[in-house]
Amino acid sequence: MIHIDHVAKRFTAARGRSVQAVADVHLHAPDGCITGLLGPNGAGKTTTLRMLAGLITPDAGRLAVDGLDVATQPRAALARMGVLADARGLSPRLSARENIVYYGRLQGLSRDAAQARAEALADSLDLKPLLERRTDGFSQGERMKTALARALVHDPANIVLDEPTNGLDVLATRALREVLRHLRSPAGGGKCIVFSTHIMQEVERLCDSVSVVSHGRTVASGTVGELLAQTGERDFEEAFVKLAFADELAQTERAA
Amino acid sequence: MNGLSLLAIVLRKELADALRDRRTLIVVLISSVLLGPLVLVALSGLIATLEAQAEKREVVVSGIEHAPALRNFIERQSYVVTPAPADYEAKLRAQKLGDPVLVVPPGFEAALLRGEQPALAIVSDTGNKAAEAGAGRVQRLLAAYARERGALSLALRGVSPQLLEPMQVEERDLASAQGRAAQLTGMLPFFVIMAVVYGALNAALDTTAGERERGSLEPLLANPAPRWALVGGKWGAVFALAMLIAVLCCLSFLPAQWLLRSDTLQAMFQFGWVEAMLFIALLLPLAAALSALLMAVAIRCKTFKEAQANSTVVVLAASLLPLMTLFNQTGEAWWHAWVPGLAQFTLMTRVLKGEALAMQPVAVSLAVCTVLTVVSVIFVAKHLRAAAVR
Repeated sequence: MIHIDHVAKRFTAARGRSVQAVADVHLHAPDGCITGLLGPNGAGKTTTLRMLAGLITPDAGRLAVDGLDVATQPRAALARMGVLADARGLSPRLSARENIVYYGRLQGLSRDAAQARAEALADSLDLKPLLERRTDGFSQGERMKTALARALVHDPANIVLDEPTNGLDVLATRALREVLRHLRSPAGGGKCIVFSTHIMQEVERLCDSVSVVSHGRTVASGTVGELLAQTGERDFEEAFVKLAFADELAQTERAA
Repeated sequence: MNGLSLLAIVLRKELADALRDRRTLIVVLISSVLLGPLVLVALSGLIATLEAQAEKREVVVSGIEHAPALRNFIERQSYVVTPAPADYEAKLRAQKLGDPVLVVPPGFEAALLRGEQPALAIVSDTGNKAAEAGAGRVQRLLAAYARERGALSLALRGVSPQLLEPMQVEERDLASAQGRAAQLTGMLPFFVIMAVVYGALNAALDTTAGERERGSLEPLLANPAPRWALVGGKWGAVFALAMLIAVLCCLSFLPAQWLLRSDTLQAMFQFGWVEAMLFIALLLPLAAALSALLMAVAIRCKTFKEAQANSTVVVLAASLLPLMTLFNQTGEAWWHAWVPGLAQFTLMTRVLKGEALAMQPVAVSLAVCTVLTVVSVIFVAKHLRAAAVR
């Protein structure tokens, strides 16, 4: 269970200029559900997820993972989370297996347990033929799968994915969707999955509930059906544009 | 799992990663492990040539027919007189003639007998090192001849030759055999310090700026490992690599001495197991400090390339500071021990000279390097989070 409670973050750049990256984002992601964080580019999704991973300290608000406050117990919170960050670089001179086992060891698994998890994840993510190869020449999809396996190596109850479908082709995207559905199901462990994206179709196909973020604020949340009802639209893309770009739409109307 | 075992996991991974970068390793090995011994052997060849020339008992003279008595004197000193080639000036300039030429003017013998102080010329070229080295020898030979002539004419007039030499001058060289050798082997510490720098450089940049550039720093920090363990493990791997290269470099000088062509250099060059071990012990704190410092410089850089440009300052300082001892003729100064790199250079030179290591400079340099290491590692740990997301 992940709880993001009205967080805010302002970045101060050189020469005194500052940017309000996140103004007021809130999200509640229960176990056994896929919760989407939907927003246009630059809406503050990555910053929010980085605050959740303890990489950035929020100016205001609170983030909790299974009731553990990220600010006061960051390591305990991280141990209960598998994070596929915006940056998902691998060590190019290590094999896929070594990359996965390394993170398993850092998560506190024994060598044998980490090896066993690498095998199991390779099975479910269809990584078997790549396992012993160095990650140097991997394709985007192969890199993503390895990074995902690395993030899931300690079998976390909470999974946080920052734009996981970026750069993936349609088959890889479908495969990823299947994996996430499996992880959500009771057979897959009934995980709590939070996943950010700017693609509406992803949300429609996958998410149990959505939080729409725009200009650093949560502007709406609920199931896809609820959001359609709220905006009175039948097409989710139209609903999203109405919710996320309300200000811009109002301005163009005034101009016209 | 406690922090120390996490540190060991990071250390092992970074070390394995760096050791797989074969191409970089080979370049580092060639430049820092092979270069030193090669230069040493080349230098010994040069010294052997100079020695051979010093032992050569030969004087090149133009116009020896004008000075039969001088010829007689030179030959009595068991030197061989060789007539100079006609174009000796051109040959000296072109470095084709390795001896200075003594020029005797016509009518020299007669003028000498009349007591007219005739002039002799020693022709050499300051650009021609071999001929320059021989000029002193010819000068001493001529001085001895002048002394003999003078003594003989005074003895004929009943004056004791001792009046001409009212005192005796004796030379005593205080430098030990090792001290003399250190003038030639003084570059050894320079090579081992460079080995430490280049051993650490690539790994230090790769574990910090390289990790940032690859985008693998952010996921690394999403692990519940304390930051000091992550940085400590990375630093440990860089330090181990720097020491590995330094140890190989020190050991490479052991077989290199067998290849020395100059007998005197071989006899004077004292670099055995004891010296090698002392070198390695002195390099340990320097390797620790340089590894941490390079990481601290690189963690602020977004790319490997940027880090390379920024680390040039550290590399230049480490390689140029030892040169200060060459320009500075006043010898060791008290502050040398306070400058990492320079301190180790001075101490290693002492080892080569066979002098005892004083406690104080060793302790000072150890303390300075320890402080530098700790400060740099803390700096990296503090900047790790900001570096991951920017």
